[in-house]
Amino acid sequence: MINSDLQALITTLEMAALTTVILLIIGTPLAWYLAKMTSRFKVIIEAVVALPLVLPPTVLGFYLLIAFSPEHLPGQLWQQTTGQQLAFSFSAIVIGSVLYSLPFVVQPLQKAFEQLGDSLLEAGALLGAGPLDRFFSIVLPLTKASFITAASLGFAHTVGEFGVILMIGGNIPGETRVLSIALFDHVEAFDYARAHLLAISLLIGSMVLLAAIYWLNLPKRPQHKTKAVKVDQKESSTYE
Amino acid sequence: MSRTLHNHALLSEVPIENSSQLDIKINVSYQQFDLTIELPIPLKGITGIFGHSASGKSTLLRAIAGLEQTLEGEITLADKKLVDTKQGIYLKPEKRQVGLVFQNSRLFDHLTVLGNLEYAVKRCKNSKLSLDEIIKLTELTTVLEHRVTELSGGQQQRVALARAILAEPKLLLLDEPLSALDQHSKTQLLRMMLKIQKNLNLPMLYVSHSLDELQQVCDTLIVMAKGNVVDFGNIHQVIHKLNSYDDIDIMHQKTSLSLPIKQFDNGHGLTTLALNAKQDILLQMSEDFEQQTLLRCFILASDISISLTEASNSSIVNHICGSIKKISHQKNNVLVTVHCNSQDFFVMISAFSLQKLSLTIKQQVYLQFKAGAVRTFIH
Repeated sequence: MINSDLQALITTLEMAALTTVILLIIGTPLAWYLAKMTSRFKVIIEAVVALPLVLPPTVLGFYLLIAFSPEHLPGQLWQQTTGQQLAFSFSAIVIGSVLYSLPFVVQPLQKAFEQLGDSLLEAGALLGAGPLDRFFSIVLPLTKASFITAASLGFAHTVGEFGVILMIGGNIPGETRVLSIALFDHVEAFDYARAHLLAISLLIGSMVLLAAIYWLNLPKRPQHKTKAVKVDQKESSTYE
Repeated sequence: MSRTLHNHALLSEVPIENSSQLDIKINVSYQQFDLTIELPIPLKGITGIFGHSASGKSTLLRAIAGLEQTLEGEITLADKKLVDTKQGIYLKPEKRQVGLVFQNSRLFDHLTVLGNLEYAVKRCKNSKLSLDEIIKLTELTTVLEHRVTELSGGQQQRVALARAILAEPKLLLLDEPLSALDQHSKTQLLRMMLKIQKNLNLPMLYVSHSLDELQQVCDTLIVMAKGNVVDFGNIHQVIHKLNSYDDIDIMHQKTSLSLPIKQFDNGHGLTTLALNAKQDILLQMSEDFEQQTLLRCFILASDISISLTEASNSSIVNHICGSIKKISHQKNNVLVTVHCNSQDFFVMISAFSLQKLSLTIKQQVYLQFKAGAVRTFIH
């Protein structure tokens, strides 16, 4: 019986890890684009990205369930290319998680890119660094803390997901049965002892993860010295 | 200012060698601002760009560097087309081989001083320069392992300068690199710029709102106002032309000179410069400086006085004889141009003194100024 919980733990970790990798791959360019965007459509894209923060997970799950079903285009396309049904599969809960955890990755990255500004990138370009070179040699090292935050939040939020997975994943052991769903199962079966075990593990796990993020993001170097303010502008000051 | 500048818009002639020049024919338009430049700039020595804020001098540098996107026209560096919007050519900044030192040093905080320098070296295609040599030239040997945030403003700008040079650009742009520094660091960096220019034969375009700084290092001066070039030519000629603009609150009228050194330190801390075959100018300078034949200096118009007879027992050491060429009234003051052999001197006196001495054109007068009034701050 404990084995099924272990199975759920493995499924959860696999889902969260894959989701985090996908989120970093698509979230980084999206965050960059939003940070540099000046068009008025920016607010609309930002709103779409932030939607999972306010939307009940079941709403997102419901529409995804419809989209993933073999009667609708996304589900049909998936079935044609992979030969498998999308709804109630591991792939479905990963796609669902990517959408649901998107703001947790995009928002910290976007903030970091906005704060970084263009000045250092201009300096890099004039020293001969191309766009990708500039990203890896300037942007990444200077926004490392935000990447750690984004990845950890994305991962933790995916682990804690329930509503969306219940709607589009169901409860298939080894495929879509994740910890939060296993916990719900135990409660429904009045097996409070095992529910308690899962609940306390999730609680401690999340606590440890968050503490690790804050520890990693502790400022290791002294704060920037305020640079010399523009003085001596007037020519007269040179005639001392 | 621009109204008066436009009246003087006869550009001084600059001999342009065919070898290499920067050809600019561009237009940059914003809602409130319009920059139109059509100018060939010789790539030789240090060329200064002077103008007040919003005159477009920084925009011009950004256009040359490739950081200005909304631009129309052509920019050619030596034989390489950087921009030609008609032909759809727009080289990215990383392809231009143009260096830029910004007002704020824009160093990479996550790297040490050496890391910042190596950033440029790693991406440089030619790598002809020796890293050690540049570190020595910019006097950074003792701070190489420091974090850039631990450095003083002057040190940060030296790192920025060294880093820009190590990318081995064909042209180095300097956008007010001294404006946030104290006087000592300014002097040090100016000296360094001159030395680097000479040692590496690297042409520079140097933007500043300080005419004094430009006077000390530039050979050619471009004056900009409201997005246009209003004057361009030999540094001394252009500075002398600026003397007659209305804008005296901001500009201090001066005589700008490059003179050969005749005798260095006469034992009392005075150095003798040869104004012409017969006349000398003395200035205070006892500090040793690098072998140089010409000394760049200036004398403020308000530091010179006029006398009708030669004072024989005065503490003032400089007495120059010349004839009055021009008298122009500026509010309660009068700017008198005195011609002495081939050199013009600019003297500011009160309207009261003009009346008292009843000065007229072609009149023979004696100029008097103290040794301390002959200013130079980079030597």
